[in-house]
Amino acid sequence: MRLPRAWWQAAPALLILLLFSLLPLLAVVRYATWDWSGLSPPTPVGLANFRRLLADAEFWQALLTTLYFALLTLPAFLWLSRAIAIAIAGLRLERFVKALLFLPGLITVGGSAIAWFLLYNPDYGLITELTGLALPWNTQPWAGLVYVALFTLWQSTGYGVLVVSAALKGIPEEVKEAARVDGANEAQVRRYIVSLLLRPTMLFLVVLGTVFAIQSYTAVFLLTRGAPFGTTRVVGYYLYEVAFERFQLGYGAALTLVIMLVTLVVAILQARLLGERR
Amino acid sequence: MILYRIVTALFCLFVALPILWLLYAAFLPATAILQASLATWGFSLENFAALAETPIWRAMGVSLLASGLTVLGQLVIGLMAAYAIRSGAPLLGLVLVVLALPAELLMVPLYRQLQLVGLLDTLWALVLPFLASPMVIFLLLQSLRRLPWELVEAARLDGAREAVIIWRILAPLLRPELIAAGILGFAAHWNLVLYPRVMAGVGELQTVQVFLIDLLRNHPLDWGLLGAAALVATLPLLLLYLIFEKRIIEVFEASFK
Repeated sequence: MRLPRAWWQAAPALLILLLFSLLPLLAVVRYATWDWSGLSPPTPVGLANFRRLLADAEFWQALLTTLYFALLTLPAFLWLSRAIAIAIAGLRLERFVKALLFLPGLITVGGSAIAWFLLYNPDYGLITELTGLALPWNTQPWAGLVYVALFTLWQSTGYGVLVVSAALKGIPEEVKEAARVDGANEAQVRRYIVSLLLRPTMLFLVVLGTVFAIQSYTAVFLLTRGAPFGTTRVVGYYLYEVAFERFQLGYGAALTLVIMLVTLVVAILQARLLGERR
Repeated sequence: MILYRIVTALFCLFVALPILWLLYAAFLPATAILQASLATWGFSLENFAALAETPIWRAMGVSLLASGLTVLGQLVIGLMAAYAIRSGAPLLGLVLVVLALPAELLMVPLYRQLQLVGLLDTLWALVLPFLASPMVIFLLLQSLRRLPWELVEAARLDGAREAVIIWRILAPLLRPELIAAGILGFAAHWNLVLYPRVMAGVGELQTVQVFLIDLLRNHPLDWGLLGAAALVATLPLLLLYLIFEKRIIEVFEASFK
């Protein structure tokens, strides 16, 4: 069988994906059976890492924290993306609002962390200086995660708004017009026509948002490093901590494997469930 | 609808606040911060002078080089891959799966592999694993789908080679999309934090993110210095964004229609 000539143009991309995505994906299964600090040569230990994983309270706590984090960010992300996209559709300010909301995703993340630190830090942030209000981010167990969630929304809602806004523009005016002719008022058009046609887009955002929520760790690393009391230690950050701060890369490989599986299973389940309801 | 508009206004404020405050803090004189009173706050450039004594410029150079090389590769490799997929190569599924499993998640196995081939703590560790960006491929594929494909078919009938079709015919037509995808790819790579810290975090190859985080750890009280550093580190992306904002947003939106 001869492949079309044009297909060969994918060869460089395939080579890179093979070397730096698929190969690590396979290799991680093997590394997960190692006791390995990253520097000394590894020793095979069989399934010890997985047995340890099952009994690791910190791991289960991290999974739970990740779930809380997803529950804090995802509904807000979806609702805000949709509400803002609808609110600005057709306004003269539309372009400005989109440009502004997209901006945090492009600002140097280290810089964003500094900006948030200067503004919201409870010891010497601007808000504390001005109002005397000591924000509880690093004292109250619940507050740290809220802080990380707010930062994540700050960073990523712009992307969601753009995606929904694009979908809104893809809805033909005739469809809405037809509903109006049939006597629907604006609220009904929004509720029954627009919402229905936005479904696939929202589904896309749910799956994408979940994948990012499961893997989020940068915000935690930048803002809290798991504090206070480990309540912001999401599973992605736990992986980093285990592998590159405690130097247990074998155990880290086992964690990588589990996180990958969780990501895929959740994404597929969601796509199935939400896809069927349509 | 009114609720939506109020939420939008509040959220815009919430987004703008840290950015505006950062701009302001960068120009605060050190005395104002010690006294912490609004009345004495003023304008000064002393923070930027203090910044000159830190290795920020070298870190910026490393980041510009690494992210620049990466994006160049991403665009070349990405356009070729997008063209192959547009021509029927069944690879879109693979691209989307890799999108869900980014290099940062695979740090543990990548660490081992880069170690084995002796690439840890080299520029290549920062560049090679990112050369095929699923996001860039996806954006360029969506742009190719908007082009009339007869163009390519006609060129093929005339006997044009694949490289000619891609680089002489398609690339010039996709200039706006290449710029937009390039800036998004650049931002994504520029903003990596944990990956460069682990793979090349020591000494010479410190990227600007690693530098900023260390600065924040070591000088948490020095608002002005932190603000100035954050501003300088953001400038390249900020300028690119201000120049091409309309194009970036149009291309991004058009991919999701």
